[in-house]
Amino acid sequence: MIRFFTLLFFLVSNSIFTILEIEILKGSDNLSKVAFVPFGAEEGFEEDYGEQISRYVEKNMLLFGEFENLDKSEMLSYPSSENDFFYRDWKVLGVDYSVIGKVNSVNALGNLNISYFLFNINRRIKILEGEIIGNEDNIEDISKIISNRIYEQITGLRGIFDTKLAYVVNSDADTYQMCISDIDGKNEQILFTSKAPIMSPDWSPDRKKIAYVSFENGLAEIFIQDLQSGKRDSIQALGMTNSAPVWSPDGKSLALVVSFSGNPDIFLYSINSKRLIRLTNHYGIDTEPSWSPDSKKIIFTSDRSGSPQLYEINTKSKRKKRLTRDGNYNARGRYFPDGKSIFFVHGNDGNFQIATKKLSSRYIETLTSTSLDESPTISPNGNIIIYATKDGSNGYLGGITLDGKSRFSLPVKNGSVREPAWSPLLN
Amino acid sequence: MNRTLTSLNTFFLVLLFLSLIFSMFSVPNLNIDEKQSIKINFYELIQQDELLFDSPASNTLIKKETKKTSAINEKINADETSIISKFKINKLDLKNEITKIKLSKEREDILRVSVIIQERISSIWIKPNSLSESLIAKVLINLAPSGEILNFSLIEPSSNTSFNESILTAMNKITFVEEVLSLERKLFEQNFRNFNLVFKSSGEIE
Repeated sequence: MIRFFTLLFFLVSNSIFTILEIEILKGSDNLSKVAFVPFGAEEGFEEDYGEQISRYVEKNMLLFGEFENLDKSEMLSYPSSENDFFYRDWKVLGVDYSVIGKVNSVNALGNLNISYFLFNINRRIKILEGEIIGNEDNIEDISKIISNRIYEQITGLRGIFDTKLAYVVNSDADTYQMCISDIDGKNEQILFTSKAPIMSPDWSPDRKKIAYVSFENGLAEIFIQDLQSGKRDSIQALGMTNSAPVWSPDGKSLALVVSFSGNPDIFLYSINSKRLIRLTNHYGIDTEPSWSPDSKKIIFTSDRSGSPQLYEINTKSKRKKRLTRDGNYNARGRYFPDGKSIFFVHGNDGNFQIATKKLSSRYIETLTSTSLDESPTISPNGNIIIYATKDGSNGYLGGITLDGKSRFSLPVKNGSVREPAWSPLLN
Repeated sequence: MNRTLTSLNTFFLVLLFLSLIFSMFSVPNLNIDEKQSIKINFYELIQQDELLFDSPASNTLIKKETKKTSAINEKINADETSIISKFKINKLDLKNEITKIKLSKEREDILRVSVIIQERISSIWIKPNSLSESLIAKVLINLAPSGEILNFSLIEPSSNTSFNESILTAMNKITFVEEVLSLERKLFEQNFRNFNLVFKSSGEIE
């Protein structure tokens, strides 16, 4: 009886007082482990489409080092439908998520019907079920759609496997190529080749055009190239030199740098009216503008304080604000897609690294560990930064996830790769 | 017979009422003292350490405290008789000192187990990337004395679905919290029978 009352006493007292709270701030450094089970296929297919699709999906999902995969040789079974799926087979292997699927049929037009499922093994629930119909010639595109949906379900972020990258390749001393490719480096297209430098590519929000700077006529000149037709239009006669074009989020104007009588300042250029509006007017160098996601502000680099620092200007009121103070080199600023933080090149003791900063904080955080990083560009889902860096004299593209768990480099091209620009998402 | 049972029931009820009152006013309060916050995180731990021992070396604290406690106990045991005989020392003060030492030991045990739980959960929680907002979600855990997780529920979810999902996924990975076996039953019932895990994210750049 005494024990009973003692226990009762503790229970009562426990319910009266504040309950113990343990705070969990830090997450694991481990990656989610995903099993990409080879998709099944109905009998009668000449090619093993199921195997191909699951291989492409796996390759996509592992592209940026955000997940760990389970080797097929370790799998205990190869289920292709929900009925054949047993959670215990995956739980024992330490798997967090399993992807299964099946190529069900092909119709008279040669279209495949593919069903797929994603399971959360720890929670023992199916978290995604989908079906897609596509042509057998478009297996890779179908796989990208499936990969995007799986990625979105696991991370809560938009999938980026159908995005593209624009970049400049300097294949030999005096050949420059303006290129675009899929984000995995496939399907490279050369848009323009020149003996003079090409710089600062930027995608229009609808992904149909690219603006960039070319020195083909001796001076820095901005061109807008239509990707479908290949047609190039120069936006000229805006002063001595024009550079660093960046599309506004609505695609109606460009922020750019115009140098009248040798002094670069930030301007807005309306695509339709071809009207130029001055934003800054300072004897210092103002350059590298970039829009905030809500179009209300522009971040730019200026040496007005004696060293390159980042500033923000309101496009309506033209009120300016200095954003960086640490170090004597902070340049090429860009906003995160949420507009709450920025990333930029931070120079310190001769090292140039990619850094981030919350706009609400005064502290900056260095992301990369290489020393000659430049031209950072962020994935449209705000999770990955790709930047140009150097290995000796050879330039290549490196990447890092914002949680710092994964660092990677993109496939090497023939020549130095510079000035990457990540395309927006297709809506 | 009935009268006996009725009076026994009344006695139990009175006892229950008294225990309630007693628990409200006189139980050593480990949980709610502001300075001795029970919210455990890495930063608070350091502050706790400094508060308790005036030492910045958090890793050696528990050892230090154990040594300190046992040393004090030995000293008290050895000297108690002689001191009391030599001086008319206030016995109430002595009792208070001993209670303080006991409380300190209990708090040390709570901290120790809390830190272990914190580390275990951190090691299995795969925090979603690129969270642009500050998020908080609270999970209530119901433990058996064996350490088995009897139940858990997301009592205060955050506004972010993937953040909540990541927490539920992590919680499903763990079935036992064996560390509570090392606690006295009283401490377990007071602090770990039901406790909260507060998952926090301060945004994508921390």
